[in-house]
Amino acid sequence: MSNPSVIRESRVSRTAVMALMLLLAVYFLLPVYFLVVAATKPQGDLAATNGLVFSHFNLFENLRVLFTRSDGVFGRWALNTVVYAVLGAAVGTLISALCGYALAKFPFRGREVLFSVVLGGVLVPTTALALPLFLLFSATGLVNTYFAVFLPSIVSPFGVYLARVFANASVPQELIESARLDGAGEFRTFFSVAFRLMTPALVTIFLFQFVAIWNNFFLPMVMLQKESLFPITLGLYEWNGQTARAPLLQQSVITGSLVSIVPVIIVFVLLQRFWRTGLAAGSLK
Amino acid sequence: MTDTAARATSVVAPTRVRRRLRGGGPRAGTVAAFLTPFFLPFLLFYLVPVGYALWQSLRVVRRTGGQYGTSYTAFGGFEQYAQVLRNTEFWSSIGRIGLFGVVQVPVMLFVALVIALLLDTPLLKLKAFFRITAFMPYAVPGVIAAIMWSYLYSPQLSPVVDLLNGIGLKPDFLGPGAVLWSTANVSTWLWTGYNMLIMFSALQSIPQELYEAAKIDGASNWTIAWRVKVPIIAPSIVLTSVFSIIGTLQLYAEPAVLRQISSNISSTFTPNMLAYTVASGNNYQQAAAISVVIAVITFVLSFGFMRLTSKRAGL
Amino acid sequence: MRTRLATVAAAAGVAVLAACSSPAPSGEASAASCTPAKGKVTLQYWNTVPGMDKVVDLWNQRHPDIQVETKNISNDQYGTLGNALKAGKAPDLAQVGYDELPNLRTQNAFVDASACKTATAAKSKFVPWTWSQTSFGGTGVFAMPQDTGPMALFVRRDLFEKYHVAIPTTWDAYASAAQKLHKADPGLAITFFDPNNAEWFNGLLWQNDAKMYGYSDDKWQVTVDSARSRQVAAYWQKLISGKLVRTDLANGSTQMYAAYQKDRIASYVGAAWGYSMFRDNLPKQAGKWSVVPMPTWGTDGASGDWGGSTVAFMKGGKHLYESVEFNTWLNTDPEALAMENKLGGLYPAASAGLRLPSLEKGVAYYGNEKIFDVFADSSKKIDTSFAWGPTQKTVNLALQDAMAKAAAGDGTLTDALSAAQHAALTSMKDQAIPVTAGK
Repeated sequence: MSNPSVIRESRVSRTAVMALMLLLAVYFLLPVYFLVVAATKPQGDLAATNGLVFSHFNLFENLRVLFTRSDGVFGRWALNTVVYAVLGAAVGTLISALCGYALAKFPFRGREVLFSVVLGGVLVPTTALALPLFLLFSATGLVNTYFAVFLPSIVSPFGVYLARVFANASVPQELIESARLDGAGEFRTFFSVAFRLMTPALVTIFLFQFVAIWNNFFLPMVMLQKESLFPITLGLYEWNGQTARAPLLQQSVITGSLVSIVPVIIVFVLLQRFWRTGLAAGSLK
Repeated sequence: MTDTAARATSVVAPTRVRRRLRGGGPRAGTVAAFLTPFFLPFLLFYLVPVGYALWQSLRVVRRTGGQYGTSYTAFGGFEQYAQVLRNTEFWSSIGRIGLFGVVQVPVMLFVALVIALLLDTPLLKLKAFFRITAFMPYAVPGVIAAIMWSYLYSPQLSPVVDLLNGIGLKPDFLGPGAVLWSTANVSTWLWTGYNMLIMFSALQSIPQELYEAAKIDGASNWTIAWRVKVPIIAPSIVLTSVFSIIGTLQLYAEPAVLRQISSNISSTFTPNMLAYTVASGNNYQQAAAISVVIAVITFVLSFGFMRLTSKRAGL
Repeated sequence: MRTRLATVAAAAGVAVLAACSSPAPSGEASAASCTPAKGKVTLQYWNTVPGMDKVVDLWNQRHPDIQVETKNISNDQYGTLGNALKAGKAPDLAQVGYDELPNLRTQNAFVDASACKTATAAKSKFVPWTWSQTSFGGTGVFAMPQDTGPMALFVRRDLFEKYHVAIPTTWDAYASAAQKLHKADPGLAITFFDPNNAEWFNGLLWQNDAKMYGYSDDKWQVTVDSARSRQVAAYWQKLISGKLVRTDLANGSTQMYAAYQKDRIASYVGAAWGYSMFRDNLPKQAGKWSVVPMPTWGTDGASGDWGGSTVAFMKGGKHLYESVEFNTWLNTDPEALAMENKLGGLYPAASAGLRLPSLEKGVAYYGNEKIFDVFADSSKKIDTSFAWGPTQKTVNLALQDAMAKAAAGDGTLTDALSAAQHAALTSMKDQAIPVTAGK
């Protein structure tokens, strides 16, 4: 530690590392900063003024326009997104947890086969499922309903995989055995003992699935025609496509993008530790 | 309720095992009750569509006569596959996405690894800030990320283009050669932080004692990083690689958004865009065949990559 | 939750089983019956026209028993419609471009409304070429024409005057004007070529009598790649190669308006419905624009049509009588036509519409020129026998993809025509449509 050459090395390194990281930080922040600046401008200033410098502060007017456009359809999209992504991820996490716990803790024949099937499911590209699902759903009248997006979204083979890993890692067999000796049923054991121990892991699974649904654009695009059922992503995409004929929409696309990512960014940053513990456990097994 | 559940999972949980299972586990019915809530939707919304796509891909369209005859479908064997494999657009989209993956995935993972390693050294200050900054794009869905970047690419609106013009450069982010890499940049921006966090988490779970010996031997931080840390987190790197390969083959939203502003992204730019284009031309059977081929390629590549790396790393 | 999942499971199982038995081919739909419903009905009408909801509001106020709900499907008009058809959830009425009518007809998407007297009687109320498209040259009534896009040249008169260049009346003159303007100001292009706009390019083909399809010997004859279409392709290729037109702008995009705003482009090869584009997006250029007839190829002065739509009677609609009543009103009633023209910029397909007071006046933005006289004249010179193909959308996409390549220096527009010809043949074969390459 007191070796002077080590200190010199580390001083040069420190500066180089700092410079590199600052550069990367600029890269990661640039589009978001641009979005923040653009969302505060009136439409006319978007092309006319420098994109990185604030001009007339028009954010509140932009927000008003955003939320009142087409009878407030943006608010509807936000609500739909909550239904698809938050509710879908919650349900998905619960069923993944039950299944992963059973695969980890219950010895039964065919367990490994089932687990391999789930692992295979992890590798199935979900976009490859969207078109056949559309045809199946159209035959059953499910197309263009909430269920068309919600039901496929709750299935997460990766969530089951994580749940099994976490259950193995965080729920000691002895605790289960002693709960059983106390006469608790399997479900009670799960909800009173395992669920509590797995909670940080479940938050991680929830977050993963939330992102998967929040990011899944292809499925709602294929399934939904009714604007009132759209999630935010699809709605903004549609608006973005209409800016050619209705350029005033551009400002709403920008403001809408900002409004929809800010809460998610905040939640993600607050829940960072769950990502890390989850990812570590998930990747090491 | 349990009844329905048990019956529904009879495919997956052998009904023969009625009483107690070996090792003193719970009853088969209870096991089924835990498994069914996942496996039933998994069956319906994963396995059935896969089967349906396979079946669809073996059908062809036939038509009653006349200028505007009515269509129906019939069994056509592997005709759709033959057509897909003969389709030059299909191979160009595969080639394009292959080039994209060969360049973008290593670059992204390398940057992610570097950030993860730096966050794990004592060299850096403001670690929390940098970690959050890099991870933040993960909260942004692909569509919105592509919309944001499309403004930064657009020659008329972008402050970046203005800036580069100011120093004498004439970048054309949406030009025929560049647009693939502009798309790659959106993916890199989105996913670097996520991959970084996977690697960083793995680094964090390495016990500190492992480094102590190396430190006492006078190894520099760099040596420790590359010789000790990287090999230990190799499984995480493999995992991120597999996810990135899958993600690349599924690429749709980002190029679809950029297509709204660039004519250099064709309707068949990525395999998934081709599948959608073919489907919206009412050729659902061929679209199914394309989906199946993409899924097979994804499987082969990700399994192949895992096998290859696990052998090499002796895992 | 459980029961619902079980229901879905059962339903999915049924679907798979049902799908296994090959559906029997049914013959072409004959004219549906036309009886008024008892009591109130609600019709679904999907369209892409800005302000259409206000026109429909007017109808709804006056017809409490026939209520119409609208939906804007601008972003992915045909994707949305195609999906809905596949799902058996098509609306009663939908906006369909002339070029998509044959495609949807081969998918059995329409109902023949000719059983309704109001429908057949409407024939005389429309510009003849539009009616022959919606009846496919026969006696059926599958849609009502709504608007058309007779083409004309929008010019920045001030820029032409500034550089002492005469406003061209032929394509040859247009090419040399392009050169003169470019020489006078290297930052100025005479127009732009949007490679992602097959519909526009098809309009240019139409103008040169380059028919894309025919039907004879019980087969579709594909002539997308023909001597006449190549003449058009070679002409634009020359302008592109000479860097006399820009290829980096998408029609109607913000970038396009920005380029016009900055005086970088001097003209616009457009259609009647485009008159409101410049008025609404470039208000500062009021008085600088003029509309003149399309430059011509020969001496016959033929014009082309770009865009325009019909309102089609979709299969699955349960209220044909009411649909016909509304559709006829929507596309022939002067009050409705006036609103559509004002709010959506539609240029009516109904003959009465061409004599709307608003279309006979001078337009302030265009220096009080009577620009609609130019469009009316153009529409008279449109070849009425031009026909679209049953896989037009696929052909258009292939054409666009190849035109984008050509614009980027990879291949030529002539190559794009052969790519489109190839796409037409394969896509029609894929759909089992009898087809051959025409001469």
